[in-house]
Amino acid sequence: MNRRTFVATIAAASAPGAVWAHGPTRQKVTLTAEVAAPPEDVWAAIGNFDDMSWHPAVFSTEGEGENEIDATRLLTLGQDGGPTIAEVLYKHSAEKMSYSYRITAVEVEVLPVTNYSSHLTVKPRDGGGSIIEWRGAFYRGYPNNDPPAELNDEAAVAAVTGVYQAGLDALVERFGAAS
Amino acid sequence: MLWSNALAPQAELGLALFLAATASAAPADTAFVTCQNGEELSRIDVTEMHETDRWPLPGKPAGVAVGAHGDLFTVSAGSKTIQRLSTKTGEILSQIVLDGGPIGIAQDPRQGRLFVSDWYNARLWVLDDKTLETQTEITTGEAPAGIALSGDGRFVASADKDADQVSVFDAGTLQPLHRIPVGTRPFGLGFAPDGRLFVGNVGSNDVSVLDAESGKRLATVPVGERPYGIAFANNHAFVTNQYSNTLTAISLDTLEPEATIDVGEYPEGIDVTAKGDLLVIANWFDNTVSFVDPDTMSVVRTLETCDGPRAFGRFLEGGRQ
Repeated sequence: MNRRTFVATIAAASAPGAVWAHGPTRQKVTLTAEVAAPPEDVWAAIGNFDDMSWHPAVFSTEGEGENEIDATRLLTLGQDGGPTIAEVLYKHSAEKMSYSYRITAVEVEVLPVTNYSSHLTVKPRDGGGSIIEWRGAFYRGYPNNDPPAELNDEAAVAAVTGVYQAGLDALVERFGAAS
Repeated sequence: MLWSNALAPQAELGLALFLAATASAAPADTAFVTCQNGEELSRIDVTEMHETDRWPLPGKPAGVAVGAHGDLFTVSAGSKTIQRLSTKTGEILSQIVLDGGPIGIAQDPRQGRLFVSDWYNARLWVLDDKTLETQTEITTGEAPAGIALSGDGRFVASADKDADQVSVFDAGTLQPLHRIPVGTRPFGLGFAPDGRLFVGNVGSNDVSVLDAESGKRLATVPVGERPYGIAFANNHAFVTNQYSNTLTAISLDTLEPEATIDVGEYPEGIDVTAKGDLLVIANWFDNTVSFVDPDTMSVVRTLETCDGPRAFGRFLEGGRQ
């Protein structure tokens, strides 16, 4: 998707009612991974909002505002010119090793969710190493009644779970499984 | 008068009855928490602050209204079903499927009616509160969510989310009285003990204070991110802020936000005991319930509950046991 179509997407999504309409049941997903490296090392790799290069599905991250509240990033997936996800940071704590963000624009064909918010947190693990926790809250991609199968609650949960699992698997490979 | 609006009708039944209940023992407040993801209903003894039962409740329940006669009404948004349950056993006494997107619910015990909002069709269903049969429909703005009855029973109001307005109706005649512009995307609302109507605006992170009689907007009060539910205690309005994981306490005298209280993650439904001495908050992401003392403005206990508690509506039954 080039920049022009991306801008057009934002404009369409900002039409009254469109971006905020959502289904009746909010979904949630929490995935964790335990790795051998200490929390400081893991946080150094994943704690910057403007760098999501640790996720294998992310081709590039274009960030603005670093780790300040309301910083934004545009993720390009897969390859140059691939589909994008626009996100905004609403909480960031280096001390707690945690940040929270929302999706501001994504096509439901890319990720079948709306009103998506997420937290990424690194915690110390008993016995050494780290626990990485990735949590999301969102509605299905279809805002109206009686969704098609590819945009229903189950499809939304499956898609987000897939994204989190791929990211955490890459971190386990990078930092070693906790033992 | 500090007890919640849902209990005001009870006061009309006779102060003597209320006094008798309080004289024999402390009122046993019971919370009924709808867990949307886990499809369960959690029954919590609020005085003891522990869960006494957990009952299956299918169809992704969220909306809830404690009835005036030992019954409980719930809305399962997934299956579009309204249930009437026994508060003693959790047994489903009757149920009905509505064609649309039922979400919010409130009872008017004086008229023997239930109001249910239709998220997808800009209307409230008006149901008989015994048979659950539809009596009529009344037109709202787009995407009505929360519904509230005034303490004196004169007004019923809906927060019309995609219309950025509150609709006010005469609760007796069901005639539309006002459509009041509010902040962006109003969702939850409630009448204060003094009769003013408070509505949380999810999109503009503020609360609009309205006069339902005149249809005027009296004030706008900034709160935390994504205000959701509202309850009243200790001469304050307490608002749950979904994204901030906090409550905002607004003085009913000055309409200033006076305190922010940390609760669990994604706080949603909030209600207050009959005596007004304890707030109960459902934390959707954490699967917990927070108990907050409205005088000290602090969390006194956090309790585990079922998966995805929403408790959208009046969910505390007090002083009846």
